[in-house]
Amino acid sequence: MKLGNRSRGAVALAAVVVATASGCSTKAPESGGGGGGGGGGGEAADVQTDIGVEGETIRLGVLTDLTGVFAALGKDITNANTLFWEENKVCDTYTVELDVQDTGYVPQTGVQLYSGMKDNVLAMQQTIGSPINTALAPEYEADQIVNFPSAWSKTLTEIPGTGVVGATYDVEIANGYSYLFEEGLLAEGDTVGHIYFEGEYGANGLAGTQAVAEEMGLEVIEAQIKSTDQDMSAQVTQFAAAGVDLIALTVAPGQLASVATVAEAQGLDVPILGSNPVFAPGLLQGPAAGWLKSHLYVASPVSAFDANPETLEAYEAAYPDATPSLGVVVGFGMSEIMKQVLDAACENGDLTRAGVLTAFSELEEVDTGGLVVPIRGYETGKSPSLENFVLQPADVPGGAKVLAEAFQGEFAEKIAG
Amino acid sequence: MTQFLSLLLNGVSLGAIYALIALGFVIIFKASEVVSFTHGSLLLLGAYSIARLSEPIGFFPAVLVGVAITALAAFLVERLIINRLRGAPVISLAIVTIGVDIILLTELIRRIGSDILNVPHPWGGGSFRIGDVGISENRLIATIVAAFLIGLFFLAFKYSSWGVSMRASAEDGETAALMGIKQGRVSALAWVVAGVLAGVAALFLVGSPTPGVSPSAYTVALRAFPAAILGGLDSTGGALVGGLLIGLAESFAAGYQDQLLFLGRGFGDVVPYIVMIGVLLFRPSGLFGTRELTRV
Repeated sequence: MKLGNRSRGAVALAAVVVATASGCSTKAPESGGGGGGGGGGGEAADVQTDIGVEGETIRLGVLTDLTGVFAALGKDITNANTLFWEENKVCDTYTVELDVQDTGYVPQTGVQLYSGMKDNVLAMQQTIGSPINTALAPEYEADQIVNFPSAWSKTLTEIPGTGVVGATYDVEIANGYSYLFEEGLLAEGDTVGHIYFEGEYGANGLAGTQAVAEEMGLEVIEAQIKSTDQDMSAQVTQFAAAGVDLIALTVAPGQLASVATVAEAQGLDVPILGSNPVFAPGLLQGPAAGWLKSHLYVASPVSAFDANPETLEAYEAAYPDATPSLGVVVGFGMSEIMKQVLDAACENGDLTRAGVLTAFSELEEVDTGGLVVPIRGYETGKSPSLENFVLQPADVPGGAKVLAEAFQGEFAEKIAG
Repeated sequence: MTQFLSLLLNGVSLGAIYALIALGFVIIFKASEVVSFTHGSLLLLGAYSIARLSEPIGFFPAVLVGVAITALAAFLVERLIINRLRGAPVISLAIVTIGVDIILLTELIRRIGSDILNVPHPWGGGSFRIGDVGISENRLIATIVAAFLIGLFFLAFKYSSWGVSMRASAEDGETAALMGIKQGRVSALAWVVAGVLAGVAALFLVGSPTPGVSPSAYTVALRAFPAAILGGLDSTGGALVGGLLIGLAESFAAGYQDQLLFLGRGFGDVVPYIVMIGVLLFRPSGLFGTRELTRV
């Protein structure tokens, strides 16, 4: 009895799928004369489609982390993606459905999940984590996938179709230095101690410091650590002995907390400059809170909530139990860029993967309404943006306030390639 | 000089925490001849319990309950698994403990997620300074508590009936059993003591200058391993010396990273293992371990 019902259902479903599939393959839905109209300008007549578009629905993939080490961030970004697409349409015609899968931050799982979804999605709204993006790079390239990672390593700009949401880590930290020089917090010839993770993230951040050091005659003391190292006493002691004027960090929030408490304990009263992943609002509940609020400067590709109150409001209304981090802004920002790519592809009459990829690479001067720094465009091997915000921890939603609006520092252009 | 003294103090305090963990390895090894790989997850369990319970029941009750939970978990591992497998090859038992460790660890990591759980130590992030040399109060208290606990343990080991039973079982299990010593009880108690030591180590390990409870706290137990081995896996005194040696070596290697640059970046991480290998090359049973004599 049950089986009978189920198979009947399956037949019906199959019929619907076949009907819609044949309906969309060559000719997209009519946008219905005056009904569609509007800003997107998508006439949507004769829009070519191939994979991931059924009728008036576009499917985008999301490979995020909902149970692994970046679960909180993954949830924020994914919720923001979901919320954005509930309220927006491509070309005023197509609704967007997300296929959200949880990698647990394990590359192998990510690769498996992608192979399960790749025949149904037009592009990837989000792929979390450099290791997973790197693992999937060959497949994304082969499948002509446009993808937005939530990481800012320079190597990611080498993958065709992958759109880093802002400046790469080297440009980012260099912009942070520019801010400190302008504010008189650092001077030519000063000494800087830089703690960085082994691997691409840390190396890319350090490259930014080295480039600035060369220009400004800074002396750099490098301290490489593993992501599992939690106690920064020895490194900060070394910096204190060398008399550093600034501590630069390309690490994770845990190490930042340790650096702050040790610096305070040792009376090392110097500013701390961090790449954007170093800060998490949770740190403001810990013993380092006071020191961070007065000493930390974070170079960031996204603005804080005080500049985007409506984003925060919408998010809190939709997810009342969440404590939103700036991952929410990243999520909205990457969805906005994806919308602009898909709108452009739709206007070109080509919502196939190849068409979307072309629209992506033709993108210029992307403005996300102040969520993300202006994106100049996506060229292989080049930082997509030259600008950054500078944020500082504060007791506000999201845990940070804006010190400097998006600006291009003096070193950015040379480093960005 | 200030740098040297700061690193020395930091190394000693770190070493004291390692010694607590290493002592746990040694006690378990002596009592049940198992090399316990569950210590990393036990440590994390202790830290997690204290962090989670601090808010609802207050800090000090949370410490007591957290340490008790860690001890209980160690007890259950011994009763439910190790005790039932008595007589199995030592290597199988070690692998079993790795299995238990992975199961417990996976669950804890899932629960902690990406949060950094703060333990509200009443002494907070404050520091204690002698001249230019500073150490976090948390580490200072850790060193004192560790010294006290280790001293207490040595006394108990030497004079209490449990200590005598344990030494007798370690010396010759069969004879001890014939003399009426219940090996199961000795072994269970050893696991409980090791659990308590891990719980106390966890309490200090997640305080200033480390950021709070995150899954990486787990890796500290792995660094205490070389401490136990180089001291001699069956020597309680060795665990203490081994812990201090590893703590100092790690602190100096990280602090003088620039001077050691010819050895490559990230040298501090491998120092515990290099020291261990170096010691074992000259003293295969560790610094204070019992040499196994085999008469032909």
